[in-house]
Amino acid sequence: MATDDTTLGDTTLGNPALADATTAESDAALEPVGAAKPPRATRGPGSLASKLAWYVVLSALSLLVLFPIYMLLLRALSNPLRYINAGQPLYPVSIQWDVFSRAFTEAEMGRALTLSFVVTLIIVIAQLLTSVLAAYAFAFLEFPFKRLMFVVVVGTLLLPIEVTLIANIETIRELRLLNSVEGLTLPFLATAIGIFLIRQGFLGIPSELRDASTLDGYGHLRFLFRVAVPMTRPIIGSFVVISFLGAWNQYVWPRFATDRNAWQTVQVALRNIGNENPDQLNLGFAAAVIAALPLLVLLIFFQRQIVRGLTAGAVKG
Amino acid sequence: MSSAPAATEPAADPAGTTLAVPPAARAERLRRRLREGGLAYLFLLPSLVVFAVFFYYPLYRLVWFATHQQSRFRNRPATYVGTEQLTETLSGNDFFDGLVHSGLFMVYTVPLGIVLGVLLAVAAHRRLRGIKIFQTIFSSTVASSVAVASVVFTTLVNPEMGYFRDVSWLSLRSGDSALFAVSLSSVWQNLGLTFIVVLAALQTVPDELTEAATIDGYGPVRRFFRITVPLISPALLFLAIVLVVHALQAYAQIEILTGGGPGGATETLLFKIADPRGVRSLGERASLSLGLFVLTAVVAGFQYSMLSKRVHYGD
Amino acid sequence: MSGVTFDGVTKRFGDVVAVDQLSLQIHDGEFMVLLGPSGCGKSTALRMVAGLEEVTSGILTIGERVVNHVPPRERDIAMVFQSYALYPHMTVAKNIESPLVANKAARVDAARRAERVREAAAILGLTEYLDRKPGELSGGQRQRVALARAIVRHPEVFLMDEPLSNLDAKLRTQTRLELVELHRRLGTTIIYVTHDQVEAMTMADRIAVLADGRLQQVGEPQAVYERPANLFVASFIGSPPMNTIAGTLSLGPGAATVATAVGAVEVADPGTGVDGAPVVVGVRPEHLDLAPVASAGADGAAGLEGTVENVELLGHERHVVCRVGESLMTLRHPNDHPAGAVGERVRLVADPKGVHLFDARTTERLN
Repeated sequence: MATDDTTLGDTTLGNPALADATTAESDAALEPVGAAKPPRATRGPGSLASKLAWYVVLSALSLLVLFPIYMLLLRALSNPLRYINAGQPLYPVSIQWDVFSRAFTEAEMGRALTLSFVVTLIIVIAQLLTSVLAAYAFAFLEFPFKRLMFVVVVGTLLLPIEVTLIANIETIRELRLLNSVEGLTLPFLATAIGIFLIRQGFLGIPSELRDASTLDGYGHLRFLFRVAVPMTRPIIGSFVVISFLGAWNQYVWPRFATDRNAWQTVQVALRNIGNENPDQLNLGFAAAVIAALPLLVLLIFFQRQIVRGLTAGAVKG
Repeated sequence: MSSAPAATEPAADPAGTTLAVPPAARAERLRRRLREGGLAYLFLLPSLVVFAVFFYYPLYRLVWFATHQQSRFRNRPATYVGTEQLTETLSGNDFFDGLVHSGLFMVYTVPLGIVLGVLLAVAAHRRLRGIKIFQTIFSSTVASSVAVASVVFTTLVNPEMGYFRDVSWLSLRSGDSALFAVSLSSVWQNLGLTFIVVLAALQTVPDELTEAATIDGYGPVRRFFRITVPLISPALLFLAIVLVVHALQAYAQIEILTGGGPGGATETLLFKIADPRGVRSLGERASLSLGLFVLTAVVAGFQYSMLSKRVHYGD
Repeated sequence: MSGVTFDGVTKRFGDVVAVDQLSLQIHDGEFMVLLGPSGCGKSTALRMVAGLEEVTSGILTIGERVVNHVPPRERDIAMVFQSYALYPHMTVAKNIESPLVANKAARVDAARRAERVREAAAILGLTEYLDRKPGELSGGQRQRVALARAIVRHPEVFLMDEPLSNLDAKLRTQTRLELVELHRRLGTTIIYVTHDQVEAMTMADRIAVLADGRLQQVGEPQAVYERPANLFVASFIGSPPMNTIAGTLSLGPGAATVATAVGAVEVADPGTGVDGAPVVVGVRPEHLDLAPVASAGADGAAGLEGTVENVELLGHERHVVCRVGESLMTLRHPNDHPAGAVGERVRLVADPKGVHLFDARTTERLN
């Protein structure tokens, strides 16, 4: 595969949007043999009938994915009582365009959004820092009990928040950190996954670069920030995105680390849908839309990073 | 290691083959190593502290809670009961039910999730105009959290107002169908992830390989099962593990869609541990947590053995 | 055993014409090499024979059958890919057996299959590797597996897409011999695609040179070498490449000469060249000789003025590279032949019988 020699781990793999480009780039990687072959724009036998058939199949499958989303939007925008009275059709009834702004004010989504943003940002930044530092230690430094420390890190994978939930809640309670930003973020300031991902990236840096920078007089910190991190930007970028996704989508911990409505994150606030008055139902649905929006934005702008982060470990490349 | 007589004169070593290390240099090396070790532990410290306080310490506490029975009075200390509570809980109906429900959840979500993901990826892995639009649509559910997916499915299966509330095998009123309906929300939510992973795997299969198979005479179906599937099997395995883990973590969808009902029919192990209605004692919940811990360890064991046995097809 | 015929075959990818009106007849049992630079359409032409690309227009025939719309599995062809395309999860034996089990309709029974696999493996020296997986084999061994997989079906035509490019030089030479030997042994029609003219020259019964999707010339290797049909073929075939220089043809009473900016070249046979026509002269390195500048005018002989830039010692012969005008020309000499010193001003004299004339405008051969 073609590799960019200034950033590591940057592969063309994993981006579904580049299905066409992968062949072009793998042809380019055969450079010494015979440069760029003509683009295989419409490769392979493909009759009009088979193409049409595939469009039909793809559209049907899209329905599978999109129908639930459509229903959510439908119910979010329609007046709930009128909608039910109309027999729950597949088209909107009495659209209330102000439902989203009302979700912000009446359903307190504005507050929840802010809290989610703050918590997520803190977690992402903290995880980034702790993971980069720990990954550096494992990748480039020698120290006693290195193997043991690695086992300690790996071991945390056996103790996800679901297993240790009640004990950690007790701890938070005893520290009087229930309903606080600290309570919501502390257990997630470090993560083994981050350490692994970034360590792998660091290990991919050719050792000659370390040697060269030692000769140049680089100490560890300078090497870390001037060479190692810039060179592994793609992997770090992917980790940041995945970390953001994970923190934003959290439900179990924020649900039990808080017991006041004022401290509900965006995801936890969604469970209020069970308590809504029937004529306020659309607010709950609108809240779900709001909860998903930031991630949709991320998906559109950072699709490549998301894909790379999700497929790291699944697919070679 | 340097040769025994430290500061040896060159004359004592006629062949000049050993390198004597003067004590000054050795001290310097030791100092450098200490510095490096110190720096390493400095870098590790933040992560280690978090791991100690929020991962390993809780494990100890869980064992403590499981082996002590809380008194009914808030201020009285708990009494040590040994493994009595633990064994009682883990051999009880509550734990068994939790296992069964969690297990069913896995059975419902994992195979279906992978098959659908493969379906979507195979359909979208071709050169058609506008294929990227479809690819984006298929990946879109990664933007949905479990909570969002649960609200989405509320519009579909809620007994009072869901669009499909009258479909018997999706009914939340009956125990069996309720668990299935709830797991469908997870299947839908996982579509984005499974699609992305399988598509990426499909893209690693070299064109020439499928062309060779075509020339060999494989029809499209046989080509898929004989050639493509074996080649993407590491990714499929990875997905299976991830989906199993997701199933073990199922909570929000249950709380939002059924609240654990009807009659506890959708209470997975985690739900029982979380115990939102507070019907179980701390000791019981800790015992259940330890049960979940063992389950998680087993899954992690699979994950590890799969990763280290990674088949390398290197060509 | 079948021949393959291209009749006005064209392949278009959107606006790009990859193969332009190719008409070529490949005889039954022939080793035909499609030769040309990257992007010349040779691979596309091969893939059309395989059925991996659709023919946009024209008629493609294998044997007696028009195969334009016949799917690959029904064409009775086998293909060896540049990257070998071996199934990594199957053993060598299963890889070789693959064509025999793939097509349910044309299935051969188990005993016969095993025998064919053994036979193919034996021919290619793979018997001891049958239980290994491709990942455990070297490049050369993998290539043989690809070949074994191709021959096991006894197809009508073998298609080979640059199968030697991923091998190192020594292995390449060795495998060239083995492929020729294989062809001799099996007698099947082979269509072989390559950009390497040495491979083409040493292996082919006939060479078809392509450029920009169009057939430039087809003929036996020696014929294509000695009488290239146009300037492209002339410069593409031969190593070191033919030396060329532009000039004007003048037909004199006894001899024909071409006057160039740096001297004159005598031509034995001007062919259809017209007096005063702008032409391009081509002379192969072995038909050039050096004469000292001093003798110019003494015999009024032709000669191009140049300066020796470099003398390359190859062990078995010498290459003298001279700067003539704005370009470089190479001469080939045996070792004991007097060569110029670097920097020396010299006169390059061509053997008139070895001079090729090309029309400057159409680049077609004149003589």
